[in-house]
Amino acid sequence: MLSRVASLTYWTARYLERAENTARLLNVNNQLVLDLQSRQAADAPRAWEPLVYVCGGDSLFRKRHGTDVTERTVVDFVLFDRQNPSSVFSCVATARENARCIRDQLASEVWEELNSFFLRLKDDDYERYAQLGSAEYLHFLKSNIHRFYGVADSMIPRTQMWWFFELGRFLERADSTSRILDVKYFMLLPANTRVGSALDMVQWASVLRSCSAFEAFRQSRRGQLSLERVVDYLLRDTVFPRSVLFSVNAIHRALTCITADAPHLADNAAVRLVTALREHLENCDTPHIITRGLHEYLDDLQVRTGDIHDAIQDVFIHYSTDHARVLA
Amino acid sequence: MSDLFATYEYAPFFDEMFAANGRPRPHYQLLAERFGRLQGIGEILRRQRTADETFLRRGVTFTVYSDNAGTEKIFPFDLVPRIVPAHEWRHLEAGLTQRMQALNMFLEDIYGPQRILAEGIVPREMVETSKHFRRELVGFNIPRGLYVHINGTDLIRDQDGVYRVLEDNLRTPSGVSYVLENRQVMKRVFPNLLRDYRVRPVENYTHDLLALLTHLAPDHVPEPTVVLLTPGVYNSAYFEHSFLARQMGIEIVEGSDLVVENDRVYMRRTDGLAPVHVIYRRIDDDFLDPTVFRKDSLLGVPGLVEAYRKGNVALCNPIGTGIADDKAVYYYVPKMIRFYLGEDPILPNVDTFLSADPTDLKYILDNLPKLVVKSVNEAGGYGMLVGPHSTAEQIAEFRAKIIENPRNFIAQPTIGLSRCPSVCGDTIEGRHIDLRPYILNGETIKIMPGGLTRVALRKGSLVVNSSQGGGSKDTWVLADDETPPTHSPQSQTAPAEEVLV
Repeated sequence: MLSRVASLTYWTARYLERAENTARLLNVNNQLVLDLQSRQAADAPRAWEPLVYVCGGDSLFRKRHGTDVTERTVVDFVLFDRQNPSSVFSCVATARENARCIRDQLASEVWEELNSFFLRLKDDDYERYAQLGSAEYLHFLKSNIHRFYGVADSMIPRTQMWWFFELGRFLERADSTSRILDVKYFMLLPANTRVGSALDMVQWASVLRSCSAFEAFRQSRRGQLSLERVVDYLLRDTVFPRSVLFSVNAIHRALTCITADAPHLADNAAVRLVTALREHLENCDTPHIITRGLHEYLDDLQVRTGDIHDAIQDVFIHYSTDHARVLA
Repeated sequence: MSDLFATYEYAPFFDEMFAANGRPRPHYQLLAERFGRLQGIGEILRRQRTADETFLRRGVTFTVYSDNAGTEKIFPFDLVPRIVPAHEWRHLEAGLTQRMQALNMFLEDIYGPQRILAEGIVPREMVETSKHFRRELVGFNIPRGLYVHINGTDLIRDQDGVYRVLEDNLRTPSGVSYVLENRQVMKRVFPNLLRDYRVRPVENYTHDLLALLTHLAPDHVPEPTVVLLTPGVYNSAYFEHSFLARQMGIEIVEGSDLVVENDRVYMRRTDGLAPVHVIYRRIDDDFLDPTVFRKDSLLGVPGLVEAYRKGNVALCNPIGTGIADDKAVYYYVPKMIRFYLGEDPILPNVDTFLSADPTDLKYILDNLPKLVVKSVNEAGGYGMLVGPHSTAEQIAEFRAKIIENPRNFIAQPTIGLSRCPSVCGDTIEGRHIDLRPYILNGETIKIMPGGLTRVALRKGSLVVNSSQGGGSKDTWVLADDETPPTHSPQSQTAPAEEVLV
């Protein structure tokens, strides 16, 4: 597979995963706001600010809206803002543009699915969102992305293209889940001294819901909701597909499949970093992490996923031709 | 006769569908009858919308540079097909084959012994002053004696219905993907009509193209790797590049994907550098290799031309074919046919005046308001003057340009291109059309039955280019000469609203 094509495939998946996470996060936030006691609290910047943090665009947001943190400005920023490269619109547009570059290699259905989604999305704005209702609109976003995954899953042959797609998807997911955990933890903790209160439960449930993990958590029979159990579940569960460890395992598998036919690349910097991260997660002790500082731990996780991304670029995409293997 | 055509305006042009007496020509009778049974123009417009939506969803678009940065538009598609009877197609095929043979011999000659120049059939100066003549390639033996592989020749029909060659496109003729996509859409929109007409299929084009490309590979390579080199996703023809690459199952590459090491070409893959043997390049000579041609080209591959000269990689089209696209050289093609083949040209050129010739120049300057003037190296409808449709200032401006550089222009009488009924707003009106067949020159010469019929959708316009408001039609070459019956037994009894045309 051409390096450029691998890179475009990888980014297509990353952007779609990012769009999906943003839509999911916004949905949970909307529900959380409804659970807040007073209308005043629902309008407070505090109810909307975390979204901007999670989506990583706080400085850009300030530039665009100053201190005007309201439902309208935040929703507009994370869903529709063309200037925000991480808005759902921008992510879908970039994913579609990437797919357009490689459409010769994609099954027609895969490209058409993404193109149709983009065409349906491209004229939408906050008015449309408000008119349709947030739940309905976010359902529209998520179900379109899921439909794309469905078509991709049933149409893309399990060649390198598929594994680069998986690589991008799960690297983004590992990063995103750790980010969601980080921000929610940051927002929740200082305000809740009464651990175990009704609001506390609502909040921890919402952390799980941000990752669509609430029902799965219940089914896993891990018992009552608590800080430690939620953190442990989202970091280290081996079967829940949005946990960090699950994502890291998926990245490892993708890398193994990518180099299956290239033994000279079997041992590479990216796979070494992923293996190390996996061991790190498998061997860690959640109560200990929380005592030592969850934020620091999550920060380190994000640095590690960033390093894996860089290593993937160095090994497969932007390698120097001087040392490259000439194939038969 | 259906009321769809009741208000159809006849004009002093050759009409593809209607004869002078206002009746449909034999090969259009079935279509007239079927269209008549549709629920009026509303049904046509509904099917038109289906077609347009299909193109948009499939991303069959081209990029327009003039309005907002890189807007994607669909190439407007008109539902009324252009129908070419079998006997007309045989004539075109013979003429195009003859022309391709002569052009290949011309290129072989001017990059070799230059007999045609020595004998004064084509003035030496005309060749040596051409912008697209590649001096660097003189004396280089191109593999398999194939000096041009793909030509998209533009044909028009004059007032008398005579097919004439308007220009050749021997560099990178585009548009063939629209031919293939148009047919796919017509299969959905008019399945029965298409079948009843026994239209010849066009699908084989990509097989033939791949066979041609594979044939060009260096001898020692048993299983050659073929790639398509594109300027990138922002090129207006990118849809076509990716379409063709997908249909042929070959990689589409950008210049930055290729590297040359030891005069061999490789592509950068995730697992290392993989050899490349044939490049179907959709970028002009100028941009191919910054070490030989334009130094500022970021699209090309440093060292590519040397790898080509060493015979390690084949290029399609070869370097240097653009000389035959020069509109002043076009003037000499009928003479080339006589010189190389000893035959009379089957397809005539459009009458052409060379401003490089003093007698012609005088005629041109005296008759500018009646003539079409073209820059010899421009394409896409750019750099031309349509005298009858121009203001006095525009004419004066061209007059000055011609006097300043006569070699750079040719002039032709304004030809009333033939017209074909087309859907315009909520009526059907006559619009001017041309035809670009695609000729492949490999082990044998192969011509796809049909080609791109372009239509000037602006009322009265003679410019069919997509950049100038042109659209396209499906081109139906009929399998045999027998005219299809206008009434098939089942459809006769079907109630009108259920008729699938």
